[in-house]
Amino acid sequence: MNRLRNDLLISAPGLLLLVFGFLIPVAGILVLGVRDADGAWTSAHLVRFLTDPFYLGIGWRTIKLSLLITAICVVAGVPLAYIMARGGPRLRLWLIVCITLPLMTSVVVRTFGWMVVLGRGGLVPHALNMLGLANRNYTLMHTETAIVAGMVQVLFPFMVLSILGVVQRIDSRLEEAARVMGCSLVQSLRLVVLPLAVPGIVAGSLLVFTLSASYFITPNLLGGSRLPVLASSIYETATKTLDWQFAAAQSIILLIGVLMLLIPQAKMTRRTHG
Amino acid sequence: MVEAAPRSIRAATALYLAAVLVFVLGPLVVVAGVSFTGGEYIAFPPQGLSLRWYEAILTSSVYVGAAWTSLKLAVVVTISATVLGAGAAIALHRGRLPATSALSALFLSPLVLPSIIFALGLLTLWSSLVGRTSFYALWLGHTVIAVPYVIRTALAVLSTSDKFLEEAARTMGAGPWKAILHVVIPQALPGIAAGAFFAFNISFDEAIVSLFLRSPEITTLPIQIYTQLEFSPDPSIAAVSTLMIGLTVLLIFVIDRVLGIQKVAG
Amino acid sequence: MTAAVHLDNVTKSFAGVQIIKGISLSIQKGEFVSLLGPSGCGKTTLLRIIAGLEEATSGSIHIGGTDSTRLPPEQRDIAMVFQSYALLPHLTVLENVMFPLRMRKLGNRAEQRERAEAALKLVQLSHLAQRRPRQLSGGQQQRVAVARAIVSSPQVLLLDEPLSNLDARLRESMQEELIQLHRQTGLTTVFVTHDQEEALSLSDRVVLLNAGLIEQEGIPDELYVAPHSRFAASFMGSTNLLEVHLEPSGDGARALLPAGQSLVLGGAPHKRGKATVMVRQEDVRLAPASAGAAATATLVTRIFLGSRTRYVLDLDGHMIRCLAPADQHFDVGEKVSVLIQPDRIRVLAD
Repeated sequence: MNRLRNDLLISAPGLLLLVFGFLIPVAGILVLGVRDADGAWTSAHLVRFLTDPFYLGIGWRTIKLSLLITAICVVAGVPLAYIMARGGPRLRLWLIVCITLPLMTSVVVRTFGWMVVLGRGGLVPHALNMLGLANRNYTLMHTETAIVAGMVQVLFPFMVLSILGVVQRIDSRLEEAARVMGCSLVQSLRLVVLPLAVPGIVAGSLLVFTLSASYFITPNLLGGSRLPVLASSIYETATKTLDWQFAAAQSIILLIGVLMLLIPQAKMTRRTHG
Repeated sequence: MVEAAPRSIRAATALYLAAVLVFVLGPLVVVAGVSFTGGEYIAFPPQGLSLRWYEAILTSSVYVGAAWTSLKLAVVVTISATVLGAGAAIALHRGRLPATSALSALFLSPLVLPSIIFALGLLTLWSSLVGRTSFYALWLGHTVIAVPYVIRTALAVLSTSDKFLEEAARTMGAGPWKAILHVVIPQALPGIAAGAFFAFNISFDEAIVSLFLRSPEITTLPIQIYTQLEFSPDPSIAAVSTLMIGLTVLLIFVIDRVLGIQKVAG
Repeated sequence: MTAAVHLDNVTKSFAGVQIIKGISLSIQKGEFVSLLGPSGCGKTTLLRIIAGLEEATSGSIHIGGTDSTRLPPEQRDIAMVFQSYALLPHLTVLENVMFPLRMRKLGNRAEQRERAEAALKLVQLSHLAQRRPRQLSGGQQQRVAVARAIVSSPQVLLLDEPLSNLDARLRESMQEELIQLHRQTGLTTVFVTHDQEEALSLSDRVVLLNAGLIEQEGIPDELYVAPHSRFAASFMGSTNLLEVHLEPSGDGARALLPAGQSLVLGGAPHKRGKATVMVRQEDVRLAPASAGAAATATLVTRIFLGSRTRYVLDLDGHMIRCLAPADQHFDVGEKVSVLIQPDRIRVLAD
């Protein structure tokens, strides 16, 4: 009937926006990265990235840091997700609000916060100085540690919410049964909850990894120009050197990496969510 | 279950929660603290309490101008994202469109694909088709990013609504458009409203697309902050940032009022 | 006289499955017709086709003489009460009842208000006019849904199992109210239900559906006393079905039971041979074995229902059920006489 036509009509503007405002720009990048100045197909830009040790170093740093960020999010996130799942609706709600608040603030605002905390005279170096682990002028700025800290803060909720969804679906009576059968709390967590939470952990990890590879502002500000990651390299190439084609080529590499992880992640989430 | 936990574990849990909260919220608290400093430099704890830096930003034409631009942009983005997103959500909810799940994925894709790629794409496409980037480019870019949020919250509300209401309206003489106007939209309104507030927040805070599309004529507040952070940070940044955090907190409260945080976070 | 609703060979297929296989039906103005049947028989689908919420695969639908087959619901002169009531939550009760008048542009605002208030008065909910649906009980919501449906005086009033979500006592009082309302408004009504008692008590005519076809239609008496088929017999009322061997005898016949006993049938002569007969549970009368009736049975189970007692009896190897008045009492294992009036045993055409 004409109901379908009506549905098409009201979704058409949004659809057009998505296609022309999103898909086509992204597709444009994929094309731009494999074309040379005259418009012919070329893999020169991609080759340049993959053969220049400088850029390979950037790629490696991106992967390394993303792995580290993901690992920290897992280790810190699993307990929190469990506490939130079993802790009652009010606690859960407040914790969700608290951990997603940084996500809702502007990236420049929260990165600035880290700059203060980690910079010369900031809280963390000050504390280290008090503990005798560093001298007075110590700064954690422009280190990979700073990048990791800033990124973990904002990516943490993604991991937690992913695991939370799965753990909430674990029947708490399984844990009770384990306790009745003689397990301590820790054992029941390790032997019952953890194995069942794995799908959420894996899905969350894939998501966190891809997101951490995609941000450039936090690494730029906290790591500085001497510790570029792939995303910040794309920004530099596009806005400073204005070599759009090379920037596009780097974007292609980023996109391939991201898709390789996102597609299994999407499949996993669909399976766990039914 | 929780009662069955030994005391040591409960203490460890409390400590752990405190640590997480400090880590996650600490930097924001620090920013707020720095903004009240009376001194010349960024320092935490602040050296003396004063509102001088707030005064400074409220009288700075650069900051006020950037804030004004951000505000104008956020308002138009909210309107466009809400209208487009609501329409898409309603259509998706009915499930009559061909390949509904593929379309859903498409509409929500800006959430997952790296926005840096989109930002670069928009920059290159706009430059080759239109020329200099402008307010309109930012409007487009922000709308694309904000629409998925509106769709998500609107769909969440629609999925819990009574699916017979529309049919009932039809049997009462309402044609398809009237049914949408009188039944579907009122049903989805909390979700649409929440989405609108999300859109406003996202646009106001947005930095990635804005930085790629920036030009001398277009400076949003986040761009202004970023530029200062790169070159000469001083406590005025803290003041601006604190105001922005305040705005975000306010918006979260409003969203909770309108929709209830449970529905959004769950 | 033009029928209020006329269905001509309506079929409906969905995803390769034929839900409605060819139904023709005429409903006269002012009639209260029930569409009765088990789940899956197509009764709700048929109702929705009349409403225009679903399209018939073939066949035609005429409402008030107009060919409505291709018309969307809003252009048909109908009103519908949904099983879940479907009250608009963001409007007050009064605004809900005014809604059809607004949408169909019947009268100005003041007139609409008056009509809505009158409809609310009919269902005795005037005092709740300013409330919101969520503040009402299930029974009250149901009455609002009915008021909302009658307010526009439609050609046809459609009800989709409107009482199934109510508890037994409320359902009974609502049935009485619906009968009242029908008398007061005179609206042509099509009522879908799976409850045969409900259909019998409310309707002028009952249409029994089975697997997408009309099994039997007629006035309630007909369906109850003279079901044509096994299906109709077992769906209406509480029935015993017995496989017997018929033998002509006198003016009627005897139904021979396996172990040699027999029951007398009256009425028209029957053919000799195998047949299925039906006896309503309340037509099986019991008496102490000493009464010396033609048939005796052993009492197997006794189920006390308060106002009556149900007995399960072994009659010559057949298990039959009987609904006896509460003042009769027999014990399990007892031998009892079974008395059935000859005209209460029907042979089924099956």
